[in-house]
Amino acid sequence: MELAKKQTATQSQKLMVFVLTMALYGLATLFTELIPKFQVGVVEFSVEFFLFIPLTLSMLFDPLSAALGAATGELVFSEIMLGQFGGLGELEKFLTVTIGVYIAGRMVKNPKNYKMVGIAAITGTGLQLLMGTIVDIMKVQFAVEDFEAVAGLPESVFATEGFAFLNDLLFSGILFCLLPTLFLVPKLYGKIEPLLGMRPRDEKTGLGGINIKVIIAAVIGFAVAAGAELLASNGTPLIEWEASWAESKTALAIGMVAAAVIAVIALMVLKFRTGKEKAQY
Amino acid sequence: MEIKVKKKLSENILEKISIDFLRNQVLKNAYGNDDTVIAKLDPRILLVWYLFVGLVPWFVNDLWFLMACFLLVLVTTKLARVAGLVLLLFAVGVFTQTGYLLIVSLFFGGNASTVMPLLILTLKVATCSLASITVFSGLDPDRLSNGLMWFGCPERLSFSISYAYRVLPMLMEEFQNILLSYRMRGNPPEHETFTGKVKYLFYQVKVIIHAFYPLMLNTAKRSRTTVEALEIKGYRYAAVNKAVKKMKLSTLKVTYNDLLFLAVSFLWIALSILASVIF
Repeated sequence: MELAKKQTATQSQKLMVFVLTMALYGLATLFTELIPKFQVGVVEFSVEFFLFIPLTLSMLFDPLSAALGAATGELVFSEIMLGQFGGLGELEKFLTVTIGVYIAGRMVKNPKNYKMVGIAAITGTGLQLLMGTIVDIMKVQFAVEDFEAVAGLPESVFATEGFAFLNDLLFSGILFCLLPTLFLVPKLYGKIEPLLGMRPRDEKTGLGGINIKVIIAAVIGFAVAAGAELLASNGTPLIEWEASWAESKTALAIGMVAAAVIAVIALMVLKFRTGKEKAQY
Repeated sequence: MEIKVKKKLSENILEKISIDFLRNQVLKNAYGNDDTVIAKLDPRILLVWYLFVGLVPWFVNDLWFLMACFLLVLVTTKLARVAGLVLLLFAVGVFTQTGYLLIVSLFFGGNASTVMPLLILTLKVATCSLASITVFSGLDPDRLSNGLMWFGCPERLSFSISYAYRVLPMLMEEFQNILLSYRMRGNPPEHETFTGKVKYLFYQVKVIIHAFYPLMLNTAKRSRTTVEALEIKGYRYAAVNKAVKKMKLSTLKVTYNDLLFLAVSFLWIALSILASVIF
């Protein structure tokens, strides 16, 4: 009995939270993706307008479902639907959003506690932005060969990325994440939970604060995110592989072209034949 | 200068509020082009093709190869008849990813030697994004999610894609209605003077944030209905059931057209490798 009470949500309620966060955050990121980015000089004010939505929901409901829903929503609505999908690199954004939102959600034991809600909101946003910044710097460092040798590049990357981080945190972090969350959490608390058939979160039904397990999981997640992003940008392993067949490169290339030509011709013939057969019937 | 910037900012926000335009573009992108050459291809073949064109350029630094890949995806994007807004976003995206780095590094005392690595980086970024535009906007959402499922992606993801495309028009309309009702009841500040414009901008942002309050409650209700309907049909059991998956994927079929598409792409890439070897 005690165990059953401890569990905050059933499986289908978790699915509800997932769908809810996905739809809302997806819609919001779709808008941010569609607004032309606003730029002053070289620094862009890419406003992460709407992180307050998953932050709010993760403080009210099951944080893991909300975090996964937010990341999936962003992936599906703004990346896949608009054809902006960046392959392996998207894994980085997926994981950083999940970690940021999940940790913020876990930090809040009682949504009525204003101070904690505020701290959690800004921590979640800051974490997400910081992880993105670190990965971005590493990405340019690895993608451009002889990073140090290119005049003026290292300083420029550190300067722009550092500035972008501070700007994002102070400008959009406070204006678009902290204040809306502080406004929405108390307003929605106790009203939105019954709609999903749940009891509001309080000290007893909360999942408990951050512990070592959560931190370790977050660190592993970040390592995977950084690894994926670097794998997507890092050139070294395959360049070496390329060099191993360099001796007979010309022969190999001619062979590939010949194979491709034969494949194209064969397929054309096959296609026309089946077309004719169909026409006969 | 500052006034101009502020004006631009408020114009951008205003532009965003014309949701009708956005909705049309997004819907056109999702449903408007299922009669193109790309849309008729098998999703599995396209995904394999995408894996190559979207990943390999990152690992190669040969200019011939990168140019060839770029031209290839340029042609396929043209064939997929992608909506204009998406292409504009692509251009802006490429610029913000690498173009600005060029300007900044010139500012910090770089020279012509900075241009080459950045050109290669730009080509890589552009190729990968265009490849994804071809595959993910060119394909019907249902076909795309079926293709992903065939490759063993979590059922949750293909469900999300199908659900997203269906619920998006409704959500957008609802959001617009809420915004309009806020506007009808609200009293926006004067925006003739400069301070008025700033105030107006903040007012707009505030309205958008407030609009999410009713939207959240409504969507909560709707997602409960959705999940309950899914549960009635036994969704959570069906999602992991092999027989159901097989039934769902039985519509996929590889034709000669698909193989021809692969072969032509391969020929083009092989030619580029030949060119890079010879020259």
